[in-house]
Amino acid sequence: MMSTSKSPTTETIHPTFVILGSGGHTAEMCKMNQALLRDQNTYQKKYQPVRYIVANSDDTSERHLRVAMPSVTKDSDFIRVPRSRSVGQSWVSTIFTTLWSLLWSCWLVWRDRPQLVLCNGPGTCVPYCYAAYMWRLLGRLPAHSRIVFVESYCRVETLSLSGRLLLPLADMFVVHWPALAARYSHKPNIRYFGRIL
Amino acid sequence: MHLKVVYVTVGTTKFDALINVMTSEEALCALQKHKCQKLVLQHGNSTPVSATNLSQINNKYGIQVEQYKFRPNGEDIKAADVIIGHAGAGTCMDILSNGKPGLIVVNDELMDNHQLELARQLASERYLYYCRVNEVSGKIATLDFDALQPYEPATENMQKFVNALNELMTH
Repeated sequence: MMSTSKSPTTETIHPTFVILGSGGHTAEMCKMNQALLRDQNTYQKKYQPVRYIVANSDDTSERHLRVAMPSVTKDSDFIRVPRSRSVGQSWVSTIFTTLWSLLWSCWLVWRDRPQLVLCNGPGTCVPYCYAAYMWRLLGRLPAHSRIVFVESYCRVETLSLSGRLLLPLADMFVVHWPALAARYSHKPNIRYFGRIL
Repeated sequence: MHLKVVYVTVGTTKFDALINVMTSEEALCALQKHKCQKLVLQHGNSTPVSATNLSQINNKYGIQVEQYKFRPNGEDIKAADVIIGHAGAGTCMDILSNGKPGLIVVNDELMDNHQLELARQLASERYLYYCRVNEVSGKIATLDFDALQPYEPATENMQKFVNALNELMTH
């Protein structure tokens, strides 16, 4: 996986990065992926290949997706990455693990050059979006690459911390409830489709 | 509507007030009127009910009480006629995605208000009910769980999202 050699004659493949969190976040992302990657979506090939980013401490998300979408996930990689902070971790060591996970996100985004980073709220997604934004500015990612953030379903009136950090740079920022849509209606990247889950 | 099996869940929280109110005389009387036979308490980090109390409830109301701290609760949810739980997003989703009548109880001692926002929103769209802990017994007695709206998958809206994403990715 680390040593994918790219033939210079073929066009570079730009995968979709889907950042998974835990529990509720994964279940929501799973439903969106099912809608996006099913055959009825004539555009679904465009998103292939899909690479799922999972925290190395998370052993349920991969199984959840493989069971729910066997035909899609058989061709997908699940990339295990370090977490920035585990529950109960001390403050000092959190600095180092956060830096380490930041480096990882920069490296993975640089290596794979995703055309789309799709995420829905877990804290792990923040460095990936910033890395994609930075590498696009620096020309490593194609100019048409996109960052899409779907706010957590349980945020009705206020944005999550991840949401507030990513609102300035997401190309599309989806909210689930009318109160949030109204509050941020002045932001051009905010989209509200009604309840989608 | 008969509430033969009632499932109470607090997730990982400590919610003694809910466990206490569910084993109070008023609540048990209300449950008895709904022909309740079994009360399952997932008490998490709350104080469990004492063994003597459990057998008293069984003798007095004919309600068998089962309690446990944590376990995978898919079966408990499917077996329940109504779910009474804390305002966690997971509990709300369990209620909706299993098509169960639900009553969400607000824990006044918790400050985590954004989860409360979800319960309130879902209640305003009549997908579930929502109340404070001192109202629980009265609500069990009077609420019409048949009047709740079924939570249908929002296929059309999801398609709008997919279309918007397709469009965004066209270049």
